[in-house]
Amino acid sequence: MTALTMPTRPGHDAGLRPVPWRRMAWVTWRQHRAALGGVAVFLGALAVYLWLTGLQIHHAYAADCHPASSLACTINFTGRYAVNVNIIRAFLQVVPALIGAFAGAPVLARELETGTFRFAWTQGFGRWRWALAKLVLLAVVVAAAAGAFTVLFSWYASPFFAAGYAIPFATDLFDLLGVAFAAWTLAAFAIGVLAGMVIRRVVPAIAATLAAYAGLALATTLWLREHYMRPLLTTKTNVPGSAWVVSQWYTKGGKYAFGAHGSGIVNAVSQLCHGGNSGLSPAQCLTQHGYTAWTSYQPGSRFWPFQWIEGSWLLALSVLLIATTIWMVRRRAA
Amino acid sequence: MIMNIIETSGLGKRYGGTWALRECTLAIPAGHVAALVGPNGAGKTTLLNLAVGLAEPSAGGITVLGGLPAGSPAALDGIAFVAQDTPLYKNLSAADMLHLTRNLNRRFDQHYAETRLGELGIPLHRKAGKMSGGQQAQLALTLALARRPKLLVLDEPVAMLDPVARHDFMATVLTAMADDGVSVVLSSHVLAELERVADYLILLSRGRVQVAGEVDGLLASHRMLTGPTTEADKYAERPVVHVQRGGAQTHLLVRATADDPVPPSWEAHPVDLEELAMAYLREPGAGALPGPSRGRGTQPSEVTR
Amino acid sequence: MSIGKGDGAQAGGTGASPASAGGGTPGGGPRGPGSRIEFRLDATSGVPTYLQLVHQVEHALRLGYLKRGDQLPKVRDVVASLAINPNTVLKAYRDLEVKGLAAGRPGQGTFIQATLGQVALPELAGLHKSLLGWLTTADSAGLDEDGIVALFTSALRDFYERRGGTGDRRGAASGETEGVA
Repeated sequence: MTALTMPTRPGHDAGLRPVPWRRMAWVTWRQHRAALGGVAVFLGALAVYLWLTGLQIHHAYAADCHPASSLACTINFTGRYAVNVNIIRAFLQVVPALIGAFAGAPVLARELETGTFRFAWTQGFGRWRWALAKLVLLAVVVAAAAGAFTVLFSWYASPFFAAGYAIPFATDLFDLLGVAFAAWTLAAFAIGVLAGMVIRRVVPAIAATLAAYAGLALATTLWLREHYMRPLLTTKTNVPGSAWVVSQWYTKGGKYAFGAHGSGIVNAVSQLCHGGNSGLSPAQCLTQHGYTAWTSYQPGSRFWPFQWIEGSWLLALSVLLIATTIWMVRRRAA
Repeated sequence: MIMNIIETSGLGKRYGGTWALRECTLAIPAGHVAALVGPNGAGKTTLLNLAVGLAEPSAGGITVLGGLPAGSPAALDGIAFVAQDTPLYKNLSAADMLHLTRNLNRRFDQHYAETRLGELGIPLHRKAGKMSGGQQAQLALTLALARRPKLLVLDEPVAMLDPVARHDFMATVLTAMADDGVSVVLSSHVLAELERVADYLILLSRGRVQVAGEVDGLLASHRMLTGPTTEADKYAERPVVHVQRGGAQTHLLVRATADDPVPPSWEAHPVDLEELAMAYLREPGAGALPGPSRGRGTQPSEVTR
Repeated sequence: MSIGKGDGAQAGGTGASPASAGGGTPGGGPRGPGSRIEFRLDATSGVPTYLQLVHQVEHALRLGYLKRGDQLPKVRDVVASLAINPNTVLKAYRDLEVKGLAAGRPGQGTFIQATLGQVALPELAGLHKSLLGWLTTADSAGLDEDGIVALFTSALRDFYERRGGTGDRRGAASGETEGVA
């Protein structure tokens, strides 16, 4: 039987060079411009707020906080704007998680959920190159946006550091400064991407991303971050203000007695110091009774080394998660 | 150039503990419309997914386009796939979909695509999600054909379309075949109208290939004999595929050609494709597979029972 | 055997010609220049598609719609309007070539080469009359219309089988073994 045979047009498939990487730039933009736009609007709105409020804060600091211990500073600066920075620092904790969940999780989850992967992964570009290009592009953009935001936030917060109201090492400020904010955002994105690939449904993937990020962030702030470098120990009572006090406790006779907070010290003070009526501070009183006060702390000078450590392991984790995702794309059976 | 557009050898695919496809050995020649037919769950989508590289075999192997590994860059380049329910990015316009497809492929005939959409009356700015089912199918098909593939793979392409849309869709596919020599492999669980379109038939039943061969050869090698029921059980001249028994009269679908003698008091008729496919689907134990000269002469040469 | 494009199917240039495929024009579809007939398809008749095309050409020849030198519809146009496999159209045209009724010109199309044997008018009248006589006999023997048709069909089949089956009316099982794709 006669059969119609091969196409007459030659095509350009001699040599079969891969489709150029740069083609994915438009594809990524067009498919994810809503998500990218959302991130831009979200961070942009916050940025505008920080800029406007920051101008006021800097103005007030310049006017009243020389010296920083003056009463005028306390009233016109700290008293008026401390609430502001406290709300902001609390709110910004969730921003990386939101970006990671809403920009990262749907990238693959939506393709799998709607079935469009059957289109995307049968095009000439090839599925793992498609995933690599898209994820790397999005990761870089998201991390860069977060990094830019950190610069603005640092400027916004600097009067508070100068006035001694807060220190960069504070638990809920450390991860908004330096490279940490960008690194956390990148990690959240990577978590979201992998969650989307594993779970294959958008809404559950978003939920899983938020949960996983929360777990990781809590574990880091409550436990891991203290251990980046061994804390310094001192018995001096005046630890520099810029230091991050990790913990304090009392010993007697070389043995641990009780921590600086909690029922142990309360009982000791009430027993030995007549409930504070002796005219001495609890610390002086305890010292008189033979207790030694210990403080473990991280000096303020370690801020940047800690930033690099945290940034590095978050970056490594992000790379690992994204690489795993791409490996799964490459291997996935429909 | 004659080559096998899809060739499998002992191909199998398992999901968890279930084999969706087993011991599938096929050699589909190029230049045909091969219809992959079978009930739901027979393994049609699995086979197509393996052919376009969306799935990896659990057993055996599959090559496409004359020996390329399925899913390799060269294979992806030469095969265009329209999956079931024609997945498109719903919030992208037709123009965006063209741009997207152009960016993701080596070859893309923008002029053809735009002209075709114009002929079909699909505005370039309309979002894919706002199109009718027929328009979405035509858009997906246009994108596929604009890539100038050597093989077009369609998974249940017309299941959701109304008769006019169905006709237009198939006309587009077949015209591309006439113009450019594209080979077509399509799956369907609808048997009617198959004879018009398909010239190679693959019947899948419960994950196994039951029938595979050129339609002409299959129809030439089967006859429907009608005769008295009293003699039906004694008939042994040719292998019997399917029996339809009445009180006085019985129909036997047998492996025989027009040259084979017909017993006295029996009548012989040719069979059409739908009847043939139905009969085999009703007899899971029967099969008509190509013999050793597979690939060049796909004349069915054995009936397995 | 002509391979592929030898039948006037357009060698694909850049992009398809704007002639609509899957036509919606009233009256049944695109008309290439020079194709004097249009094919139609009876999906329920049970007759294989390619044979329907062959019969329609022969019928058109008999009735005078087609004359020697006329071009048959281009394969591509038939495919576009009927949504049938191009190999089917090629098979039908090849069948006509084998019968000597048509001939393909590479790059141009398929053209009618001969007409069906014409039976002279007086002969036709004589045949008609003898047929009416037979019908009268059959009717008085008690056969009704369907019985007459069945008897006639069976006798027709026997006649052609004995003759050896050129112009065979057996549909897809035409007795050729198709080996090569």
